[in-house]
Amino acid sequence: MSTYIVRRLLAVLPTLLGVLLAVFLMVRLAPGDPAQLLAGEFATPEALAEIRQRFGLDQPWHVQLGLYLAKVVQGDLGESVRTRKPVAYELSTYFPNTLQLTLGAMTVALLVGIPAGILAAIRPGTVFDLVAMLGALVGVSMPVFWFGLMAILIFAVQLGWFPVAGTGSLWHLVLPAVTLSTGTTAILARMTRSAMLEVLSQDYIRTARAKGLAGRVVIFKHALRNALIPVVTVAGLQFGTLLEGAVITETVFAWPGIGQLLVGSILARDYPVVQGAVLLIAVAFILINLVVDLLYGAIDPRIRYD
Amino acid sequence: MRKLLALLLLGLSVALAQGRTLVIAQGTDPTTLDAPLATDSPSATVVNHVVETLFEYTPDGKIQPLLVERYSFSPDRRVLTLFLRKGIKFHDGTDFNAEAVKFNLERLISPELASAFAFLLRGRVSAFEVVDSHTLRLRMPEPFAPVLAHLTHSSTGIQSPAAIRRLGAGYRDNPVGTGPYKFDRWQKGQFVELVRNDEYWGKKPAIERLRFLAVPEAATRMALVETGQAHVAVRVPPQDVQRLNARPEIEVVTTPSVRTIFFYFNHTKKPFDDIRVRRAINHAINKEEIVRFVLGGFGRPSDAPISPGIFGYTRVGTYEYNPELARQLLAQAGYTAQNPLRITIHSPNGRYLQDIRVTEAVQSQLRAVGVQAQIQTLEWGAYLAATNQPRERNEIQMAMLGWGTVTGDADYGLYGLFHSSQQAPNGFNRGFYTNPRLDRILDQARVATNPQARQQLYRTAMQIIYNDVPWVFLHSEQQVTAIRREVQGFVVHPTERLIASGASFRTSAER
Repeated sequence: MSTYIVRRLLAVLPTLLGVLLAVFLMVRLAPGDPAQLLAGEFATPEALAEIRQRFGLDQPWHVQLGLYLAKVVQGDLGESVRTRKPVAYELSTYFPNTLQLTLGAMTVALLVGIPAGILAAIRPGTVFDLVAMLGALVGVSMPVFWFGLMAILIFAVQLGWFPVAGTGSLWHLVLPAVTLSTGTTAILARMTRSAMLEVLSQDYIRTARAKGLAGRVVIFKHALRNALIPVVTVAGLQFGTLLEGAVITETVFAWPGIGQLLVGSILARDYPVVQGAVLLIAVAFILINLVVDLLYGAIDPRIRYD
Repeated sequence: MRKLLALLLLGLSVALAQGRTLVIAQGTDPTTLDAPLATDSPSATVVNHVVETLFEYTPDGKIQPLLVERYSFSPDRRVLTLFLRKGIKFHDGTDFNAEAVKFNLERLISPELASAFAFLLRGRVSAFEVVDSHTLRLRMPEPFAPVLAHLTHSSTGIQSPAAIRRLGAGYRDNPVGTGPYKFDRWQKGQFVELVRNDEYWGKKPAIERLRFLAVPEAATRMALVETGQAHVAVRVPPQDVQRLNARPEIEVVTTPSVRTIFFYFNHTKKPFDDIRVRRAINHAINKEEIVRFVLGGFGRPSDAPISPGIFGYTRVGTYEYNPELARQLLAQAGYTAQNPLRITIHSPNGRYLQDIRVTEAVQSQLRAVGVQAQIQTLEWGAYLAATNQPRERNEIQMAMLGWGTVTGDADYGLYGLFHSSQQAPNGFNRGFYTNPRLDRILDQARVATNPQARQQLYRTAMQIIYNDVPWVFLHSEQQVTAIRREVQGFVVHPTERLIASGASFRTSAER
């Protein structure tokens, strides 16, 4: 088990290097000059030259890449062109908020999606099944942006139940977390339903029922545990999607997370921050995948890692 | 007794109202709170409440002393002596004096800081000499008429040297100035909060705290002001104006802006090297209609390259909407129905109010006179890069840009845009327009000593520009702001800054 974890962690390094390279090249291939954007529409050539020199933008890109990698290895992500603060500081300010939002959305998705899927599977073809699956269809097809604005108009402006935007309390988290969770909730509900239906048709379930076990025990102990494996995989992958979706949700709800930071930095061609933020998201993604793989073992003892 | 009680209650309620926090929803979070590094208006707005400049540019377009008590120019106009106000302290308790001003102005132009605004003084002021504790001399290699206007720019704000030295890089998050508000805290990505400076040297503000929220999504900003969670929201989308106005507790205020929107022509390329074509395009575009229908009335057709309220502005006229004349001019230039003019118009999408809609309107108006225009849009960063290519590599024929003359002086608006020395990529003259006579006049206006003479020079300059038609003169934008009625005295400055220092909450009786 521990050798497996070490092996996985070692495999992470080339992945991260690939991510870094890709982002580094992408931001540089994108048109636009950070010095020009920083200095504004009306900038003197000297001002531009000074800014380029200060941030090493006057160097050829392979030199910039070498310098950047050398610094990253030492744990230095560089300095933001816009705010002139360390990138690590910027990330540490915004990332916890995104984590809070993503975890909130994941909690909503798990608490709503899985039970809805189970209930729909136990009573297939009933009104409940129909409603749950219709809800799931709406959930995956609805644009997050639109849902967020509607949530604000109805629950914040009309009803006044929740604050419009910002952070500070659990109340602030409700609307953005629910908004962000819609797609994931729907996917989890559908996954759980189909996995449960499949498991419930297996012979061992019939055996368990024939033994006279209570329905609750059959469902939760025998069926759910097996049905959960694909659900856990999807939930893990959805975590990454939530990190992406946070970009839009954060804009609508003025939520100070990494998504807002990333969008602002891309628009300003703030290369160091874009690179740092993408690196951070990649690390989070990789770690989540690792945790998901390890969870398999916990759910299904047949899966071994040695 | 009852009356007394009522009075007491009223007094209490007034006191409570005055002590409250004014919440202002801006589009973005400031990027930095260090005055010479703040390049965007949300940053400048926050900085301006904390850090004051030597001179101020009033909303009605006057330049007047602020931290300076009085000033004088030497007869040859090469020495500017500033007599500073006495008895002012920075928020950290240190003295505001000539040494502090020298420190700040030298810091602004220093290469280490790499401020984008160093050009305001660099090369124009050769020495800063402290005469005594509250007198400073600025020596200039040649007279520089816009110097006072440049000293109103927020990047020339005077900040506490002690705090800058003590905090180093951390100063950007902890500005210390002499202003009516002191910096309190900054929750990154969420809000900046300022608290009243009770030792302020000037008129003390009525409102105790200001909170500047960062809310990128316009619909969310409007929801905040509708629910009362914010008192002020900037940049109301035109389609929301009616709905907000229908609410009795909200007032939608429109304020002029020094920003002018225009299409420039590339003078070095066909077909716009021909003045008949440039004139034809100007006559083919109905600016009134664009302002009325595309901007929903939130703009003003331009009658000069700069906006009213800026020193040096004079009305020079508009090219009247005359499609027939446009067709004739095009025919003279050799473009007919058999051989129509085909052009590409570059336009930003989302940078200026309704920008792409304006370009589309222009496209259809041009079609009416037989011009086939294709629209090309780019993301803003790419757009700036494309329009800023040197002459040989510049692919632009005609492109939309906006310009805010934020110093309130025509020099900033005309020299940078039309002087032949300012051609891209080393300046903002992106159409490579050249007229030696105009150059001479703009140079003279920089060193002229007499304001009336300068005014006259700028009038002539703008007439030349008008006759040469380097632009389609479109419109100046208006700023549309939603303000809750319990707030009074809130100022939306033409330079796109917000000023809350003179604001107060109305009591219910006043409402």
